[in-house]
Amino acid sequence: MQLILTYIIFLPIVTAILLGVFRAPLRVLKLGAFFSSVATLILVAILTYHFNPQEGIQFSQNLPWIKNAGIRYFVGVDYLSLVLLLLITFLMPPLYIYMYHENRKGYWFNMMMLQTGVTGAVLSLDLILFYLFWETMLLPIFVMIGKYGNGLRQYNSMKIVLMTILGSMSMLFSILYIGYIYYEINGVWSFALNDLSTLSFNAKTSIWLAAGFLLAFAIKIPLVGFHTWMAPAYGSAPTPAVVIMSAIMAKLGIYGIWRFGFTLFDTTLSYYAPTIIVLALIGLLYYAVRAITEENLRKMFAYSSGSHLSLIALGLFLNNIYAWSGSLYFVATHALASAGIFIMIGLTYKRFKTVTITELGGIASHAPKFAFFFAFFALSIAGLPGTGGFVGELLIIIGAFKANFWVGVFTATTMLSAMIYIFWMLQRTLFGSAQNICEYNDLSAREVMMLLPLVVLLLLTGLAPSLFTPIFEPGLMTSLETVLAHIGALK
Amino acid sequence: MIEQLLLAFPMGITVIGAFVLMMLSHSKNITLQNMNLIALFFLMSSFIMSYFTLGNHSTPFLFETVFGNSFILDDFATLFDLMFTLGAALTLLINNDYLKSRTYFNGEYFALMLFSVFGMMMLSHAHELVTAFIALEIASLSVYTLVGYHKSKVSSAESMMKYMILGAMSGAFFILGTAMIYGAVGSTSLTEIAKYTNTHDIKDMQLLLVGASFIMITILFKLGAVPFHSWVLDVYHGAPYPITMYMASTFKIAIFAIALRLYLVDFASIFGFWTQMLQVITIMTLIGGSWLAIKQTLVKRMLAGSSIVHSGYLLIALSSIGLGSSLAAPALMFYLIAYFISSVGAFGILSFIASKSKEQMSYDDFKGFAQKRPFMAIFMSIFMLSLAGFPSTIGFLGKFYIFTSAIESGQILLAGLGILTAFISVYYYFKLIAVMYFYTSDKKPKGFPLNISTVLIVMMALMIIWGGIGTSLIPFVPGADGFIDIAQQAVSSLH
Repeated sequence: MQLILTYIIFLPIVTAILLGVFRAPLRVLKLGAFFSSVATLILVAILTYHFNPQEGIQFSQNLPWIKNAGIRYFVGVDYLSLVLLLLITFLMPPLYIYMYHENRKGYWFNMMMLQTGVTGAVLSLDLILFYLFWETMLLPIFVMIGKYGNGLRQYNSMKIVLMTILGSMSMLFSILYIGYIYYEINGVWSFALNDLSTLSFNAKTSIWLAAGFLLAFAIKIPLVGFHTWMAPAYGSAPTPAVVIMSAIMAKLGIYGIWRFGFTLFDTTLSYYAPTIIVLALIGLLYYAVRAITEENLRKMFAYSSGSHLSLIALGLFLNNIYAWSGSLYFVATHALASAGIFIMIGLTYKRFKTVTITELGGIASHAPKFAFFFAFFALSIAGLPGTGGFVGELLIIIGAFKANFWVGVFTATTMLSAMIYIFWMLQRTLFGSAQNICEYNDLSAREVMMLLPLVVLLLLTGLAPSLFTPIFEPGLMTSLETVLAHIGALK
Repeated sequence: MIEQLLLAFPMGITVIGAFVLMMLSHSKNITLQNMNLIALFFLMSSFIMSYFTLGNHSTPFLFETVFGNSFILDDFATLFDLMFTLGAALTLLINNDYLKSRTYFNGEYFALMLFSVFGMMMLSHAHELVTAFIALEIASLSVYTLVGYHKSKVSSAESMMKYMILGAMSGAFFILGTAMIYGAVGSTSLTEIAKYTNTHDIKDMQLLLVGASFIMITILFKLGAVPFHSWVLDVYHGAPYPITMYMASTFKIAIFAIALRLYLVDFASIFGFWTQMLQVITIMTLIGGSWLAIKQTLVKRMLAGSSIVHSGYLLIALSSIGLGSSLAAPALMFYLIAYFISSVGAFGILSFIASKSKEQMSYDDFKGFAQKRPFMAIFMSIFMLSLAGFPSTIGFLGKFYIFTSAIESGQILLAGLGILTAFISVYYYFKLIAVMYFYTSDKKPKGFPLNISTVLIVMMALMIIWGGIGTSLIPFVPGADGFIDIAQQAVSSLH
């Protein structure tokens, strides 16, 4: 049990290295990748079973790694990382099923590396370790967009890498500076989060340090103004990469603010809160308008994803329990829904060789199953009551109204605007006259198999939220109380 | 007496080897491959002897009876000796394919190589300024000749002339500085100079300050710091690949052997005097080097430009030393090791490719390289990532130590600029990875030839990863922890 997190993190990459060193044939490679993801899923299921929601960090492992620099191998899981961990491991097997016909070996290796990268980033509690995973998860994305993508793939992959690394370099600077402050006070180096959270910085330093972190996370989310990489990258990336980018990596920006932002700079974040709330509100509307006018399905859902992530970021800074639990709930359900819709777009591309809305039409009459799943995921993105997205969005909007009436009003427009672009898109793609007369294969059994778990989970999260809330509610309450106590908002 | 001579033996054996090779080079019966083996034998015996001396001299030992105090032996010098002999041996081994593919190499190549190693070892042991100057000139003259080794090629000859004239000019500064210091102190021995600087007030030693500044100019020139950088790109470009690799990885390190000894020990009390000048030069070096590296279309020139940026990082550490940072000196040593491994690997692959074709190797020539040679592409990516300071490589830890030491000494803006240029460097290093992987090639994939060059390239790549993430689990193989321990041990032996 002690090592379970280490197994979860490194199982995929060890599988990849072994398969690579022994030059496994394609068939073995595919099976190996799939079974590594299933094995991780089983491990995470065991972990969740033993997880105690009342406690903080659990299953932690804290070993010295690079002693002179005080860098530790420190991993652990709490309510927040558990939610993201569950998402990552749950999404990998369906993605491998999606990639069933993919014959380029590099693709599979990159996916396994990517899983290790994102899992490690979620579980690490040492800042340098976190930085390591945060950067390494970029490499597979870089290769997947640049090598297996479409359109201006070389340019777009350079763009995403440079923008993201700009953010992470600023974060690195803050990390080093914080480590130094700890060294100055205690005489030893440490980058472990629990050590660093004992520090208190003076106001001016703290503002600069927080800026370093926030830049990295704002680019990853992306908040409006830091988003120029998003649409091109989503447009060029192959489907599995897009799924990971929108479902997991964008959420890691949120996770970073939550984990590192609120632990290290809780008071300073309230200094940034107005700026971020305004940026998020602008983002909500701006991305929604871009989504309405966008003709390319991938880019449209990229903007839609940006709009919803702005909503999540907004909820994070409203400092009340509705908005917080709404944000966390929406992180999970939006990840499921966007994974579903991007897989559907990938399937659309496989069938029609296009993802431009104007070139599609009349799918519903020829491929009813396909149309059903497509519409289901699209509507759950829009927040259809009965799907998980609705619960999350509603909680955030309630939280927003509780914080400020006008913020609430603006926030509520996301639901409306999402309805506009989703329904208009559905009308033009699924219905209308068939424009593209090629093979209209309906979903195969394999494809239904990979989509069904997502549908079931989305419905469960929508209809019976009380099944899931116990996992994170107690932890969430405690951390919210700590934050509120620190910023003096608790009466 | 004999014991003292024995202690100097690692240094002596290289010069013996150099003379032996010089004699042999006129023989028609010995092939170049055998010459290579002989050179390696001398280098490796020196390496092994140094290896067992490492750790034995945690306090300095002066060669009193045999060399009249002009040489010193400590762990610091031994660590440098190890890097020099290893660097030369790796240069000879990795470039073996290149050596076979070019007809202009002959026996003197090996003799010159060993002479330069001898010069550098002498430099790291020098405890007297004139000795240091002679050592520097022995090393430099050999390298000048090696740079122009491809006599019939215009760019090679041109780069040799450029390097020699500018280098001789900067060498003149060194001897001028020595003369001035002699005028002030009355001795060129570093012990006397240290005594003088410790007992006098900084206001009373203008002459020494001017002299030491001249010496610093030589050091900055050899490092390729902006504004003394104009030779770097052309010389690196014009020199044959093995020599470029040798200059970038090994010869550059040698300058730090003397610079660190001077500024950590002898000028330690007055080193603060140069801090501002160094900071300005560091800023110019970082920005200028990045600008030069971005503009290049040839990979070799890009690496040359980026080596200027790496000098900039090393200069950050040097000015941190001046501001009294205790972390800076080990950080600098660690960075030297990290840069040594990464650049040996990167240039090694370039020379491997060059041995198969006569192309210039621009970025465009690397299109589809990953398809043609998948394993080489992976290793090249690892070297690029390490040079860019990507985490999980040794290059990241090198930058980590440099930047933390800069923050510790209060140079926050300089650390910020360093991180910014590290970000810029991601562009030109990742560009190579992108070119290798993102374009298809119509050529058929080739196998991975197993010979000494490629095995060493693989080892360098493993060292980079192990140095970035490994712990001290495997004995004799220093991991991320081990390297900095060695560096600290070496620096502490200076005092």
